Amino acid sequence: MSGKKREKAEIDQVQLVYASVLDVVSHIGMALIAAGFLIYVLKLLPLTVSIEDVAAHWHMRAAEMNRILTVPSGWSWVQDPLHGDVLSYFSIVFLSMAAMICLVSVIPVFLGEKNRTYALIALLQVIVLAAAVVGIAS
Amino acid sequence: MRAAGSNKLVPVLCTVLPAFIMLLLPPDLLASSLPSAAPTVWWIWVLLLFVFSFFLGIVSVLAGVGGGVLFVPIVSSFFPFHLDFVRGAGLLVALSGALSAGPSLLRKGLADLKLSLPLSLIGSVSSIAGAIAGLMMSADSVQLLLGIAIISIAAIMMKAGKSGYPEVGESDVIAKALGISGSYYEPTIDETVNWKVHRTPIGLVLFFFIGFIGGMFGMGAGWANVPVLNLLMGAPLKVAVATSGLVLSMNGAAAAWIYLYKGAVLPLIAVPAVGGVMLGSKIGARMLTKVNTGSVRIVVIVMMVIAGLRSIIKGMGL
Repeated sequence: MSGKKREKAEIDQVQLVYASVLDVVSHIGMALIAAGFLIYVLKLLPLTVSIEDVAAHWHMRAAEMNRILTVPSGWSWVQDPLHGDVLSYFSIVFLSMAAMICLVSVIPVFLGEKNRTYALIALLQVIVLAAAVVGIAS
Repeated sequence: MRAAGSNKLVPVLCTVLPAFIMLLLPPDLLASSLPSAAPTVWWIWVLLLFVFSFFLGIVSVLAGVGGGVLFVPIVSSFFPFHLDFVRGAGLLVALSGALSAGPSLLRKGLADLKLSLPLSLIGSVSSIAGAIAGLMMSADSVQLLLGIAIISIAAIMMKAGKSGYPEVGESDVIAKALGISGSYYEPTIDETVNWKVHRTPIGLVLFFFIGFIGGMFGMGAGWANVPVLNLLMGAPLKVAVATSGLVLSMNGAAAAWIYLYKGAVLPLIAVPAVGGVMLGSKIGARMLTKVNTGSVRIVVIVMMVIAGLRSIIKGMGL
């Protein structure tokens, strides 16, 4: 460690951009999670699978449950989004995409700084996450 | 002095003891007392999960461990949910904690994007592989391996030291090429701390294995990320802890999608877990200065050993 007295350390612009986007995305994600769950458990919208049915099968392996019930998985929910359980599931999907949204937003900043190496690493990370998101990895 | 010590002990007893007593109960006592299939009791399990996750959030902050590492073994032992859904929820618990803490840690320069990106790129690939492998294996095998992993993690936590500001002679070639270094203001010493890292190639290899284990068991990986970043690569402890969260937010997201596609994420389980842990973490952070964190850490390690043994017993079908 080496140090000198100073009020603030210099933080990369790209890091500040990532922090700002993450701040917005994580707050939206948490609000969606809370709202989606309340709509779900209070049954404010119709459900694709009743809560009682889910609870009756949650001791089974996911694959077994999916053979019996059509609970939302992957992007299946897009076809029929206006259901309480689907909205709650969507909030989890959104949270799981937060890192990818942040990474996409910093690639232009890396390129603007002519930092091609990190722009490439960030792009590769986005490709890995996108492969998971679109189901190629599954 | 004695009065102050007693004051510090009260919050510990209030938070750790309920969780500890739950651990010592006979296996499946709770699960067998409330039939999971009965249509009227689903909300009791959801409420219990939220309350448990809340206490877990407090304990994990006080002990300096991620919630995910405790969540999976304990919830899979005491709740009627299948391990598939517990692992899916565990990843989201770890992921959401990292996401909510991220912005402020990035702005302070504690979490470092340039340090995290190469490690998370390697780790996210392996965490996807780990998640696929974990969902292909039989539940008993995963439960058995989970028990072994948890006991090993407890041993690492007991043995591994920590270094506030490790000495790093010269950065390695990769770290130099990628410009991995940084600085942050440390208010406790009123100085700007400049840091750099070394041994990046070994760190990359280790992050591959850590990602695989995290994906397979649905756990956060702070227990391994932090020692590798701090003790091996030489990042200051605060940078290691904060950057570990950033890595986890990417690795956890990659693995979470495998669970999402396999239908192993149920909002009914994942959301109360995420909400409880996040709320508990906020309370835990406020209690941090009032509690003897060293004692909590020891209790948590004991809890992990017991939870690990229970997982092994369950995995062996005994």
